[in-house]
Amino acid sequence: MIEITGLKKSFGDNKVLKNINLKIEAGSVVSILGPSGSGKTTLLRCINFLERADEGNFQFGDQKINLKHVSKKEILSVRRKSGFVFQNYALFPHMTVLQNVMEGLVTVRKIPKAEACKKAEDTIKWVGLADRKDYYPSQLSGGQQQRVGIARAVALNPEVILFDEPTSALDPELVGETLDVIKKVAQTGITMIIVTHEMAFAERISDKVVFMDGGVVVEEGSPRDIFVNPKEERTQKFLSRFIQKDMYYI
Amino acid sequence: MTFQFENLAESLQGAVTYIPITLKLTLVTFVWSILIGFLIAVIRNYKVPVLSKFFGAFITIYMGLPLMVALVIYHLLFLTYYEKIALFFHISKSINEINPLIVGYIALISTNVCSYSETIRGALMSVDHTQYEAGYSIGLTKAQTFFRIILPQSVPAIVPGVINNLVGTIKGTNLVSVIGIIEVMGGAIYPCSRTYSYLEGYIAAALVYWLISFILETIFRRVEAASNRFRRQLV
Amino acid sequence: MGDYFSIERFLKLIPKIVPQLSVTFAIVIVSMVIGTLLALVVATLEIKKIPVLQQFLKVYVSYMRGTPLLVQMMVVYYGLPLLMQTIFKIDVNSWSPIVFVDIAFILNEGAFLGEIFRGAILSIPIEQTEAGYSIGMTGIQTFVRIILPQIIRSIIPAYGVDLIGVFHNTSLVFTIGGILDIMGKAKVLGTATGHTLDGYVVAALIYVLISLVLKIIFYRIDKKLVFERR
Repeated sequence: MIEITGLKKSFGDNKVLKNINLKIEAGSVVSILGPSGSGKTTLLRCINFLERADEGNFQFGDQKINLKHVSKKEILSVRRKSGFVFQNYALFPHMTVLQNVMEGLVTVRKIPKAEACKKAEDTIKWVGLADRKDYYPSQLSGGQQQRVGIARAVALNPEVILFDEPTSALDPELVGETLDVIKKVAQTGITMIIVTHEMAFAERISDKVVFMDGGVVVEEGSPRDIFVNPKEERTQKFLSRFIQKDMYYI
Repeated sequence: MTFQFENLAESLQGAVTYIPITLKLTLVTFVWSILIGFLIAVIRNYKVPVLSKFFGAFITIYMGLPLMVALVIYHLLFLTYYEKIALFFHISKSINEINPLIVGYIALISTNVCSYSETIRGALMSVDHTQYEAGYSIGLTKAQTFFRIILPQSVPAIVPGVINNLVGTIKGTNLVSVIGIIEVMGGAIYPCSRTYSYLEGYIAAALVYWLISFILETIFRRVEAASNRFRRQLV
Repeated sequence: MGDYFSIERFLKLIPKIVPQLSVTFAIVIVSMVIGTLLALVVATLEIKKIPVLQQFLKVYVSYMRGTPLLVQMMVVYYGLPLLMQTIFKIDVNSWSPIVFVDIAFILNEGAFLGEIFRGAILSIPIEQTEAGYSIGMTGIQTFVRIILPQIIRSIIPAYGVDLIGVFHNTSLVFTIGGILDIMGKAKVLGTATGHTLDGYVVAALIYVLISLVLKIIFYRIDKKLVFERR
C-alpha cells in the first residue's frame, strides 16, 4: 500500500502540486488523468524521487518517509521497490535489448549473470520480443522500444510500476501493442500507477481513477464514478472534450 | 629571472605595431582558402572524374602534414631553388629583395584549404539528395540547382564551421615567425633581445593574440546571427 | 645545389630519425592521458556552474583557444620557473625542457578536450540518468554504467581528430631546442651535415603516414560502434 499525505512541490514561484493526498491499495491499478500542466507527471516523478517534493509524508508498505528530510538511503530503497516506464522509453542506447533488461538485475540486484540472463530472456519473451533480444534500441520501432522499457521495469519484480504517459510518444498504430502489454502487466496483480491520456484504456483497466487539475486532486473514484457520474464540474468539462473525441474508438 | 612591467609595456607596443601584419596574413589566407576550398568541395561533391579523386587523395594526405613541417620545408626549398626559378621566369630581383611572405602564404593557404574544403563539403553533403532531383524536376539546370537550391540550404551549416576554423587560421599565422616573418609574436619579443628577459614578450604576444581572436570571433558570430535571422525570415 | 636533396642521404636518415618517434609519442601520450583527466574535471566543473570558478574556467578556456600554442609553450617555458621561484622557492631551471612542453600541452588539451567532453555530456538526455535511477542504481553506478559509455561512444570521432592534432602539435617543440623529437633530430642532423632538407622530408613522411594510420584506426572504431547509436 502506498499513501501520500500533504505533498507539496514548487518550481520557483510556480506551485505545481498543492497538498496532494492519495491512497493506493496494494495490487490495484490507478490511472491519473488531467489536462497538461495539471501536475500529474510531477506527482508520479515525486513518488520515484526523480523530483524532490518540498514537503509531505510518504508511506510505502511499512516504510514511512518524511519528504522534507529524505535520505539517500531511503530514496534508493524506494526506487528498488518500484519501476518506472518513461514517456520517451529512455532505453540505454549503448546496450542491446537483453543488456537493457539485465542491467538492473546484475548491477543493482547483484544476481549472477547466467541467472539474470535467463530472467531477462523470459521477460523479453513475455512482452513478445524474443526475436529482438540482441537488437539495439535504435533498430526497434517506438512500440517495441516501449515494450522493452516495460520489460526492464517488470524484470526487477517491483512492488509498484509507475507509467508516465507510456503511449503518448508513439505513432497511433503502435499504441495498441503497447497497451496490450500494459494490460498483461496489470493481470499479474502488481500495483500500477499510470499517467495517461488514453481515456478508454484507463476506464477498462483501472480499479481507481484520479482526476487532477491545477496541482490538486479534484476527484477520485471507480472508473464508473469518474467517467459516468463525475461530480465536479472541472472533471465533467475535461471529460466531455475527450469523450467526444474518443467515442469513435470505443 | 624577473618580470618587469616596463618591459611588458614595451613588448605590448611592439606586438600592437605588428597587428596589421597578422590581420593581413589571416585575411588573405582566409579568403584564398575559402575560395579554393569551396571549388574543391564542389568538384568532390559532383564527383568530377579524375579531379575529384585527385583532390580527395591530396586532402587526405596533406591533412597529415603539420603546418610547421610544411613551412620549414617550403622555406628551405625557396632558399635553394629561388635562383633557378627566377632565371626561368626572368625575374631580376635577388632573393633578399623577395619577401618571405610568399612562402608563408603558400604554406598557410595550402594547409587551410584542406580544412575549409572539408567543412564546406560536409555542409553540402548534409543537404538531402532529393533536393537535387526536385531542382531538376522543375527544369533547373545543374548550376541553377546548385546556386539556387543546394547552396542556400548549406549556408547555415557552413557558417559555424567556417568560424570554428577561423580561430585556427589566426593562430596558424603565428608559425610563419619561424621562417623570419615578423608578426605579432616577433614584434613582441623583439625588445626582449636587449633585456634577455623573454617572458614579458611572450605574455604580450599572448595578450594581443587573445584580443585579436576575441574580436574576430565576435564579429563573425554577429555575421552568423545575422545569417540565421535571414534564414528565419525565409522560413 | 643539385645534390641539395639526395635519395641516398634521405634513406640513410630514416633509421636515425624514426627511433626519435619515442620522444614524440611520449609527449602525445603524456598530454593525452593527463589532458583527458584534466578535461574531465574542467567539463564537470563547467557543467556544475560554480560561481567564481565558472568565470575562471571561462577565461582559461578562452585563453587556450584564443592564443597560439607556440606562444603558450613559451609562456610556460619562461614563466613557470619564475612562478615556482617566487611562490614555492623551488628552482626548476634544471628540469628537462620536455617537462615544460608536457605542461603546456596538458593545459592546452584540458581546455580543448574539456569543451568536447562538455558538449558530449550535455548531449546525453536527462532521462538516461533518470532511467538509471529508476531501476535502483546509485549516482555513481548510473554515471559509470549508463552515462560514461555513451560519452565515450559519442566523442570517439572528435577525440581522434584531437589526438592527430596533438601529434601534429609536437612539430612545434623543436623550436625550444634540446628536445630530440623527430623534428628536433632532423634539425640537429641537418645542422651537422649542412643538408637540412632531407631530414625534414623524413619527418614530413612520418607525420603523414602516422596521421593516416591514426585516422583509419579511429574510423574503424567509430564504424564498429555505429549500430549502438541513436
